[in-house]
Amino acid sequence: MNKPMLRARDVHKSYKMGRSPLRVLKGVSLEVAKGEFLVVTGASGSGKSTLLHVLGALDVPDRGIVEFNGRSLFELGDSARRAYRNHDVGFVFQFYHLLPECNVLENTLIPLLVAHSFWGWRRIRRKVRREAEQLLERIGLAERLKHRPAELSGGERQRVAIARALINRPTLLLADEPTGNLDERISKEILKLLSELNEAGQTIVMVTHDAKVASHANRYVRLSDGMIREAEAPGDQQTPARSAAREVIS
Amino acid sequence: MYKWFLAFRYLYTKLIALFGVASVMLCVAMVLVVLSVMGGFLDTVKARSRGLHSEIVVEGGTLQGFPYYEEFGKYLIREHADTVEVTTPVIYTYGIFRVPATTWTKPARVLGIRLNDYVKVNDYRKGLHYERYYPDTTRLGLQSMPVAGVSEGGVLRLPAELEAANERWRKSETDPEAIAAFDADPFQHTPFPYVTPAVLGERVYAADLGGARFEGPEHHGAIVGCDLLNERREDGNFNRHLARGADVALTLMPLSRTGTSTGEPPIRVPLRYVDDSRTGIFEIDSLCVYVDFDMLQHKLAMDPQPLVDGGFTKPRANQLLVGLKDGVELNASRDLIDQAWLTFCASLSPELSAVDARAMSLAAVYTWEDLQRPFIAAVEKEKVLVTFLFTLISMVAIVLVGCIFYMIVEKKTRDIGILKSVGASGCGVATMFIIYAGAVGLVGSILGTFLGSVVVWHINDIQDFLAVLNPQLRVWSPDVYSFDKIPNVVKQADAIWVALLAVLSSIIGSLIPARIAGKVWPVSALRYE
Repeated sequence: MNKPMLRARDVHKSYKMGRSPLRVLKGVSLEVAKGEFLVVTGASGSGKSTLLHVLGALDVPDRGIVEFNGRSLFELGDSARRAYRNHDVGFVFQFYHLLPECNVLENTLIPLLVAHSFWGWRRIRRKVRREAEQLLERIGLAERLKHRPAELSGGERQRVAIARALINRPTLLLADEPTGNLDERISKEILKLLSELNEAGQTIVMVTHDAKVASHANRYVRLSDGMIREAEAPGDQQTPARSAAREVIS
Repeated sequence: MYKWFLAFRYLYTKLIALFGVASVMLCVAMVLVVLSVMGGFLDTVKARSRGLHSEIVVEGGTLQGFPYYEEFGKYLIREHADTVEVTTPVIYTYGIFRVPATTWTKPARVLGIRLNDYVKVNDYRKGLHYERYYPDTTRLGLQSMPVAGVSEGGVLRLPAELEAANERWRKSETDPEAIAAFDADPFQHTPFPYVTPAVLGERVYAADLGGARFEGPEHHGAIVGCDLLNERREDGNFNRHLARGADVALTLMPLSRTGTSTGEPPIRVPLRYVDDSRTGIFEIDSLCVYVDFDMLQHKLAMDPQPLVDGGFTKPRANQLLVGLKDGVELNASRDLIDQAWLTFCASLSPELSAVDARAMSLAAVYTWEDLQRPFIAAVEKEKVLVTFLFTLISMVAIVLVGCIFYMIVEKKTRDIGILKSVGASGCGVATMFIIYAGAVGLVGSILGTFLGSVVVWHINDIQDFLAVLNPQLRVWSPDVYSFDKIPNVVKQADAIWVALLAVLSSIIGSLIPARIAGKVWPVSALRYE
């Protein structure tokens, strides 16, 4: 295994459920190497999403350490953690989470809009707009640039979410049940796209309750009762890298 | 950048924002209408107050007046020629105004003026009715009554002097509408306003075939306040029931130098009604009668009176009006003339009697603003109070914007989570909602300013329309407010201030919801669909 890019050590997280605390993560330790496609499986309520949120610095663990390229995320200041979410990580959610008032192109550009000031944006807008159009074209949404999320199918929405996650060329893609809300055919398309991205060098951590999805990963682990129970390398399941996928993340 | 982008995107995609826009718009329009009407009212009062007096007034402070006014006027012209343009004395007293042919009487404030000088120090000439259409025919000296006649062609003719004056006005009048209005309603403007053509036929043809002329005994002229004598119509013009030159009378009470009764019975002074004046201030136009200064001074025994030990008293006046040169600073001139008055009094003191010295010590120098300050201050306070009340009511908009933005934030929780997941800060998200509220306020302000301006510009039409529906809905009565029309000018500065305050109010209204939005925890916002 390469030197780990992301490392979680003894991560604990609990929530308040009524009067009693609900312990969701009970000492999770995990390492993700650069270029790896890690799938975390587990039953509903096992803490998969919570783990992903902690890895993406969207949530703060009660205890434990999460390091990204050797930097402990939760020892960073607030603005550094925001920069991590903006530059280093791309999120893909089960329910797409697109902004309903924005069209496909605008949704894709949101991370860049967040990253730049009014005047900074004016300087780069033409360039990044062109890049976003190229990205959307490569994932098959060239004809849908001006459509709003309500006018798209589930698969198309998830593609937009993936484009949004990739627009800032993040080091790490975190996908939370990206196929959980899609039918089988569309799920396969999305997984294929993620596999292609991984083959082109994109590091991906995906959580899913569907064990079959694990076949697309380099490695998968199972989260049960708030702890990593098993860890396996499913062997060399990689398909030949595709040049188009390389272009997407290049 | 996302703050501006999403704030303006939400502005035109979220229907709920329109309620915020509508509430701001209505509040802006309401405050602007109130501010414009009250501001216009105040400005009109100020402008008309300015025209009532001269710039500087030496006020005697008593009804019996003060002596040496003529000498002081000449002294000012001589010593301060670079400041003082003209001076003219005024006598004022109170009396009973009566139309002899009727039993109609009214209390009156009587002013003795030198008309030719008086019109040089204020706007009095502008308010004279007949003087406008028959220039240089309004005089306060002795005169008979003009009587209309009929030409050989059967056309109503006025005496030649009046015909010529009217012709001069027609030639000098630059507003064709004014001439058209005169011709459309000549009986409002001729010296015989109450005579209809039918009546003219009876009276003029039967009685006055001899032609136009002046007839009857000569009396001094009297200019009567328009609301004292005439009936004001709803359109702000007047029904004049008394012919120009008709007999009127004043009953006066002369006072001695010390302010006591002279012992003489009240004096009846027969006069001719020569014109009516309109200052625009109802309290003045419904009370004042203007007569010749010298005549009134004589009737009131304020002219030189023989003294028991020989000699004569000095003539007295109640005020000395001082007109200033153009460009002279008002308050500095008041101080200068005040000092001049003290110097003048000091120079006279060896020869002054005790009574005269006392009368002169009571006199003081004022600017027109000083004299009108109590009245203007009251209107200013009224304006501030009404504007404050309506602004307070408009604060409802802040609460409404707050409620609307609270609902928007509740509805946009997931969007906030998305933005935070891609690196947006809580402060940035809060700023986005503040910009959104500012945009709502800005659009509401622009629309409100437009709506308010349209209402103000057409406020008289609106009132006329409402009055047609129900006369009780006529809220602006010229009888009460002195002005014919509701002020209908929107000041640019007022509009800008109101709009800025509305934007600020919207922003204030959004602060709490924006803070709530900034504190949304992204995980809780993203966890569920």
